[in-house]
Amino acid sequence: MEKPGIFEIIRPEDPSVLGPRLGQLTVQGRSKLETPNFLAISSRGVVPHMTPDVIAASSQIGGVHMALEDFIEKSPSGTPPIMKIPGNPLHTFTAIPNSIITLLAPRRTPAVTAPNGNSDTAISVFTSTGFQALSNKSYISSIQTLRPDISIALADLTYGPLPGTKRTVKMSDRTQEWLSDLLSENGHGGAVFAPILPIDSLSQSEYLDYLADDQAGEISGLAFYDSNLLPDIPATTSLSRLPHLSLDEPASPHHILRQISLGMDIFTIPFIGHATDAGIALTFRFPRPLPDDAVASNDTGSSVVPLGIDMWIPTHATSLLPLSNSCTCYTCTSHHRAYIQHLLSAKEMLGWVLLQIHNHHILSEFFSSIRASIKMGTFEADAEEFGRIYESELPEKSGKGPRVRGYHFKSEGPGEAKKNKAPWGNLGSDDQSAGRGLVPDENSTELQEKGFAEKVEE
Amino acid sequence: MPSALKYELVARCSTTKARAAILTLPHGPVQLPLFMPVATQASLKGLTPQQLEETGCRLCLNNTYHLGLKPGQEVLEKLGGAHKLQGWNHNILTDSGGFQMVSLLKLANVTEEGVRFLSPHDGTPMLLTPEHSISLQNTIGSDIIMQLDDVIVTTSPDMERMREAMERSVRWLDRCIAAHKNPTKQNLFCIIQGGLDLELRARCCKEMVARGTPGIAIGGLSGGEAKADYCRVVSTCTSLLPEMKPRYVMGIGYPEDLVVSVALGADMFDCVWPTRTARFGNAITKYGVLNLRHARYANDFGPIEEGCGCVCCREGEGGLGVTKAFIHHIAAKETVGAHLLTMHNVHYQLALMRSVRDSIIEDRFPAFLKQFFADRHDGDKTKYPDWAVEALRTVGVDLMEP
Ligand SMILES: [Zn+2]
Ligand SMILES: [Zn+2]
Repeated sequence: MEKPGIFEIIRPEDPSVLGPRLGQLTVQGRSKLETPNFLAISSRGVVPHMTPDVIAASSQIGGVHMALEDFIEKSPSGTPPIMKIPGNPLHTFTAIPNSIITLLAPRRTPAVTAPNGNSDTAISVFTSTGFQALSNKSYISSIQTLRPDISIALADLTYGPLPGTKRTVKMSDRTQEWLSDLLSENGHGGAVFAPILPIDSLSQSEYLDYLADDQAGEISGLAFYDSNLLPDIPATTSLSRLPHLSLDEPASPHHILRQISLGMDIFTIPFIGHATDAGIALTFRFPRPLPDDAVASNDTGSSVVPLGIDMWIPTHATSLLPLSNSCTCYTCTSHHRAYIQHLLSAKEMLGWVLLQIHNHHILSEFFSSIRASIKMGTFEADAEEFGRIYESELPEKSGKGPRVRGYHFKSEGPGEAKKNKAPWGNLGSDDQSAGRGLVPDENSTELQEKGFAEKVEE
Repeated sequence: MPSALKYELVARCSTTKARAAILTLPHGPVQLPLFMPVATQASLKGLTPQQLEETGCRLCLNNTYHLGLKPGQEVLEKLGGAHKLQGWNHNILTDSGGFQMVSLLKLANVTEEGVRFLSPHDGTPMLLTPEHSISLQNTIGSDIIMQLDDVIVTTSPDMERMREAMERSVRWLDRCIAAHKNPTKQNLFCIIQGGLDLELRARCCKEMVARGTPGIAIGGLSGGEAKADYCRVVSTCTSLLPEMKPRYVMGIGYPEDLVVSVALGADMFDCVWPTRTARFGNAITKYGVLNLRHARYANDFGPIEEGCGCVCCREGEGGLGVTKAFIHHIAAKETVGAHLLTMHNVHYQLALMRSVRDSIIEDRFPAFLKQFFADRHDGDKTKYPDWAVEALRTVGVDLMEP
């Protein structure tokens, strides 16, 4: 039996034509997600730095990527707390607004490499208490309890060097079996996205044929771990009508545009959070800077426009400009660069909050302009213009990020450098807020110039 | 001296020395008694100014020492002050910076000129004078500014030094008044010193009240003295202070301290504790402080505090319905956990002061006090702190009576 689709392709009329697509993802009870678009990435159920009320009031986030591994650390009672909540546990537990679509994946994106391989029945996941096995059976039962709007079936992935032929055969066999188990037991009726493995299409051709021939009516979307596979998907009507989700970690907006030109619909974009943590305000617009922005972004002297601004740079300290001119986000309408610069330099958490609000807004606007461009039929030319105008990479980070939270990073072994430098050590305080940045960095002349105190004539 | 505030007495408790008032400052009115959250470096622990506003806060504190370092006077001058810096259109109070200088810079010492310290960077001797502190605070543009005072811990046994500090604080007040450039836009508060010596405190009150500052602070407390001594000092001072001026006790924020201090006649308080403790997973509730990092909360699907009206605890329109279990899940792992608890804790403190105020206006503050202590100690009177029982007896409230 074919399930009613959650995705409607508005353009092109023939969805099997390879190219940019305009669509709409509809999940009952949630706001419609116009595509191309992106899902915010969460960590332990929260979009880092943003409280749910801020998401509701100051973002246009339409969907959130959640990882099961963020919720299932070993607990004394055995059952993870979130599994005990009736109704819609993901929304209820994390307090994200009801209008937002939830997508559940087994692992975070990007995920920490597991030291142990996967087995025929389970993959290795990383929880806050360490690595543990997640069986497909347990993943399926979690989906049934958590009732995400969309779930991505378990995939047998390897991280690191490319797997050999024998391994790739196993990968596609296991993934096919795991998907098949999920679909046959998918009682709650939520949408399931089938993973497309990051190996060449030939090595997973049997699996792809299985999707096209047997399961196209049962699955609601395709999740790409490698966007280069997009052109290799069998061009059957039943597969091409499905939404394409990218888990390919685009490194820059240029990569997003390239994937869109191949027909990608929905993205997860780790560089938003990376930019925020690095103190970088994203400023790119599609396809070109807004008239007001051209001057502001071009102050580097180069003819290529940067994709963002490093807010650590002290020249922003007295700038009353918004992060990006004519940006309508909360940060830009209520605050200015000088405040963000101050907050970063004072290591105040609000600095990253305000950047995160702005950076998500910039991406929402970016996708909105892309949709308008596809609608106008000018996407190819616009994307080409964007590629010409903007730098190819995001600015280098110069300042320190917020404190690294240990469980995000697996220790690579003994002798690995500490992620956080010790705060001022000589004040004998274990409270960071009391010991941090309170001894002046400046010499006496600078202190006097700043008006902090005066030098004493001896 | 000129002032930039209006103090309107709304009600007086018929039993204790508590008062309810409206204090109108350059950036709008605030209701007394009042708790002021501390936004040390022009930001409150990850809350946006909009979120802070939503807690009902209309007067918060910035630290002059920190703003003097970052972003510094020159930048503040260019931006047009701290309100502009942080996009906060409500009131700001700043301290003098002296206290932090003495406590944070190990080589600081106080002379008649000011606070001397060696630049930690190059060892050059430097000086913060009363004129300097006022100039910085004039640039910051805070609605209430504090005089530079000579603070020493109340528990110091050196009575001679204590007397010197009190007298010096009076002389420095004169220098602050003379240096103050915006008396019609910013309100200078004096700071009563004198340690635990009630005689010294009384002399200081007399001297400082004579200077006629728009508001009066009681300083040097919250430094580890016995609570009973603290209460005696506050009560002695409030009895000597003019009725129609706001009284601010610096560095006080534990709920019990707040309600007792109000009963002793104080109006304004500040403390970093409610926001700092949120970082460690601590939620303030009327039944005491809960450390939500404890495993017992992992499966507790109730709100942080039942009946709390904050954005986190509230359900339905505009509320998040956040549970203890969720805070437990993210505490110390995602900063959002601290932001959520900060919202709750600030709301708790402000709501506590609002209900104190309502009870004063309705003249049922003594009953409020009894209920407050009963809630905190599970109705077990043997657990009530002696100092609070004693202090409240001096103002006609007997917590022990049925
Ligand atoms: Zn913005
Ligand atoms: Zn609350």
